[in-house]
Amino acid sequence: MKKVDWKRFFGILGLVVYGIFVLFPIYWTINTSFKEVGDVYKVPPSFIPTKFTLEAYKFILQGTGRLALSNSLVVAIGATLIAVFLGTMASYAYSRYPFTGLTNEGAQFNLLTVRMFPPIAFLLPIFWLWKTLGLLDTHFALIVTYSAFNLPLAVWLLKGFMDSLPRSIEEASYVDGYSFWQTARRVVLPLIGSGLAATVALCWIFIWNEFIIAYLLGGTDVILYTAYLPALRRGMRIMWNQIAALSVLAIIPSVIILVLFRKYLIKIYLR
Amino acid sequence: MLREKSRKIKTPYYLIMPPQVLIWVVVIFPLLWAIYISFHDWNPTISPQRTFVGIGNYLNVLRDARFLSALGRMFYYSGVGVTIQLVLGTAIALAIVEYIRSPRWRTTVLVLFLLPMMMAEAVAAQMWTLLITDTGTINNILVWLGFSPVGWRAKELALTTIMIVDIWQWTALPLLIAYAARISIPDGLYESARLDGASKWLILRKITLPYMRVPLAIAFLLRFMDSYKFLDKVFIMTYGGPGTATELPTFYLYQTAFSYFKVGYGAAMSWIFGIIAVIAMFFFWRLAKRMS
Repeated sequence: MKKVDWKRFFGILGLVVYGIFVLFPIYWTINTSFKEVGDVYKVPPSFIPTKFTLEAYKFILQGTGRLALSNSLVVAIGATLIAVFLGTMASYAYSRYPFTGLTNEGAQFNLLTVRMFPPIAFLLPIFWLWKTLGLLDTHFALIVTYSAFNLPLAVWLLKGFMDSLPRSIEEASYVDGYSFWQTARRVVLPLIGSGLAATVALCWIFIWNEFIIAYLLGGTDVILYTAYLPALRRGMRIMWNQIAALSVLAIIPSVIILVLFRKYLIKIYLR
Repeated sequence: MLREKSRKIKTPYYLIMPPQVLIWVVVIFPLLWAIYISFHDWNPTISPQRTFVGIGNYLNVLRDARFLSALGRMFYYSGVGVTIQLVLGTAIALAIVEYIRSPRWRTTVLVLFLLPMMMAEAVAAQMWTLLITDTGTINNILVWLGFSPVGWRAKELALTTIMIVDIWQWTALPLLIAYAARISIPDGLYESARLDGASKWLILRKITLPYMRVPLAIAFLLRFMDSYKFLDKVFIMTYGGPGTATELPTFYLYQTAFSYFKVGYGAAMSWIFGIIAVIAMFFFWRLAKRMS
């Protein structure tokens, strides 16, 4: 008779229980997004939609939902590009040249502060900055704010990738007669390409997922999907199927990034 | 001679200028302005007049019972929540390495477990709100199974409910870090320990955990930092209520500055809260450094 490995059995059981805990809300959101709104409130709850319908998705993709998603996309892409572009410049300088005095410590401290201070503590003055300039509720203000908030992350990640690149490669390139800019463009950038891609992915996710900046600096003319979610909950009868549909649509890009970058995520977080 | 050329290139200040300008304009300058405002009483909805009150705002924040209890809630929410995330995440990571052998299954399980971490806090909060309202799915299932419904958003439970959602979403981060740390421990160590007849418990205590101490300290710091930073879940799931039962400092700050428009007072509060946050971080950073 084969002996049952109880330790293994309970180990796997634990993983399964945790898996159910993690996946149930996600499954339930997908389930809800295909329901009619009356079906959402039923007791006992229906574990698959009683009547499968795409109504909620239609509503989201025809109305403000589509606008919110496309605004989010524009802002996230714009801010990511700026943050990573400026981050690449700064991290290359910090990685290759000594900065003394204020430029070094001051710069590092700026970056650190941005990461540790709660965003809401910044938002009061930033809100008034944009309000005074008359730029509140514009793509511009959102893109600039998001790129400033993600710049420290980009610098920090990219500096790590640059540091691991041996200096002799660049020296060889200078010997071959490349100028500083040629070296940067043709030698350094291609070599840290994967690191660059990972940084883009991570910055993009942080901006795409952000809520309070979107809510306070946008919201009327330029509404991002995170700020649109609570707006959907107003009214007598909450259209949970629409909220669920928007949630599902919003998660899809992040899932794609997770699957594509699963190997880098570990490396990034370990640094 | 060409090598000389590369050395002669001046420190490229122009490379760090644009990023620094961006940070100064959008972050540092407004923060300095906030210091100036914090010495004034200013409610722009009532009048544009700013009255100078010196450090009055700061003294009032430190005496503000609502702020102090919000701070207490933060240490419960972040302290307990993050500790559970860390322990649970480590346990799950070790279980994955111990009990799942096929690499393909490991990756699949890992990706599934990391899903919550990739989605917006706001989306996670919405998803859970559907589950935990009084007539929400979890209560529906409880009633259906013959139990009585639970008031997940009632006064006594609300903060803990939000903490559970935070655990649901963010256990993934310590899990990821612990997993990466665990698979980087050389197998040879385990081999020789087994040959010496060490028990599994002893191996865990003497090899696995000491190796994972530094990454886990980093995980704790990252998580602690993020859990006091965000107010998305409170904002969406309870809006601070019922009463002030789930009011964390970040949310109270939001209320002061953007609902009551007490701008000067809010600025003083931002600074005090920011400084407390930074001190807490440095304290934990020191602790983590001493441990390693």
